[in-house]
Amino acid sequence: MDIDDILQEVDPTVYRIPQEKRDLQELTRAWIAERSAPELLPWPPNDLFERINAAIKRQIERVEELTGDMDPKSNFALIVIQTELERYKYLVRSYLRARLAKIDRHTLHYLSSDALRARMSDIELAYATRHQALLHNHYLSSFLSSFPPNLQNLNDAVGGISMIETPDLDTAVIIRLLKDSFVEGRGVDSDGALQMKEGDIVILRWADAKPLVEAGKAELV
Amino acid sequence: MPMYGDLGNKLVIHAKRTQGLAHLPPYQTELVRAVTREVRDLNRDVESLLEPFQGSFDPTQDHATACTLLVNHLSMRRNKRCLLAYHRTRTDKLEEMVWNGVDVADLAGPQAGGGRGNGPGGAADGGSSSGSNLSPQEEDYVRQYSDLLAAYKGQWTDIDLTGSLEPPRDLFIDVRVLKDAGEIQTEYGAINLTKNSQFYVRQGDVERLIQQGYLQKLG
Repeated sequence: MDIDDILQEVDPTVYRIPQEKRDLQELTRAWIAERSAPELLPWPPNDLFERINAAIKRQIERVEELTGDMDPKSNFALIVIQTELERYKYLVRSYLRARLAKIDRHTLHYLSSDALRARMSDIELAYATRHQALLHNHYLSSFLSSFPPNLQNLNDAVGGISMIETPDLDTAVIIRLLKDSFVEGRGVDSDGALQMKEGDIVILRWADAKPLVEAGKAELV
Repeated sequence: MPMYGDLGNKLVIHAKRTQGLAHLPPYQTELVRAVTREVRDLNRDVESLLEPFQGSFDPTQDHATACTLLVNHLSMRRNKRCLLAYHRTRTDKLEEMVWNGVDVADLAGPQAGGGRGNGPGGAADGGSSSGSNLSPQEEDYVRQYSDLLAAYKGQWTDIDLTGSLEPPRDLFIDVRVLKDAGEIQTEYGAINLTKNSQFYVRQGDVERLIQQGYLQKLG
């Protein structure tokens, strides 16, 4: 998959791409975006992962069928399919791990509100909840339980500083514009604003890029 | 005379050092206990200071007491942060080991002989030396976390989540055997992995063995 594929995908005139291919493109985009965004992005909607899982399962079965065949021609096909399968699996794995790393880093933050919880899949939510419970338990049994009761919380916000760490939304990201749009960015010394064209690439803070990405006007690269 | 927070600082230094190490250094049981004790003492001080006021303490009337209270208060919170940071650093490290497939029994069982020799399932670097370096609570934690991870991974049966995070380039790779690993089954028949031999195998089949240090990827 290369840039042309990505560009083609967002071209509204192309509708005849088969579902499987669209799923792969969607996965690739989600993967790229997840790896560059500093905060957890919403779990892909529309059962994307159910379809991906089914596709992987189908290919694995296919490989098993072909393995018995000693015909050199199908043997070559087998290697191609297996390579593709490994790459597909890598995408999924890397994507899931990237998300998990973010969830582990700021577990309490992502559990703190319904809107943030909704970004996780059911399995991720279960994982995060359980992980946090384990950690808390560990702290309690290691030292917290012998603390005075008013100091046992993990979510104090005394002195205006919350104990819950949040991701840094001001980290720089690089985005590519998908539609002509007006881009505003905050700088250190002064803020900037620019009228930009489709295909332009710009580096700016995630907090500024987020609305554009969510509106489908830009994508992370 | 030691000051409030000195002990907490030591913990942070330990944590900082842990981050750069391949293995997990011993748990500082004494230090953790001492810092916790300091918090309790401080809290007792605060309570005894406040006692004569019967809940009607006015900071603007008595600056000296207010200042003492503030310092005590901040010291307690600082100690708590130090403790949290120390424990979190260690659990992060432990989680990383669990992800890397270090055998939990090896990590947690200080009495197990397998911890020293590299017996079957002998863990990669770090695993063997950190056997007794865990606190009992940490051993529990590792066990529970492995269960949690196994449960999460169970939802993605077709994708080995603990697999390599390097993008796969080739289906087949050259590997050299570093430690005897016995016989493994592949689609193309069984391979006997004896030390110093070299094979051309499917990467997916030997991923785990590479991670555990039995095989080395070549080229």
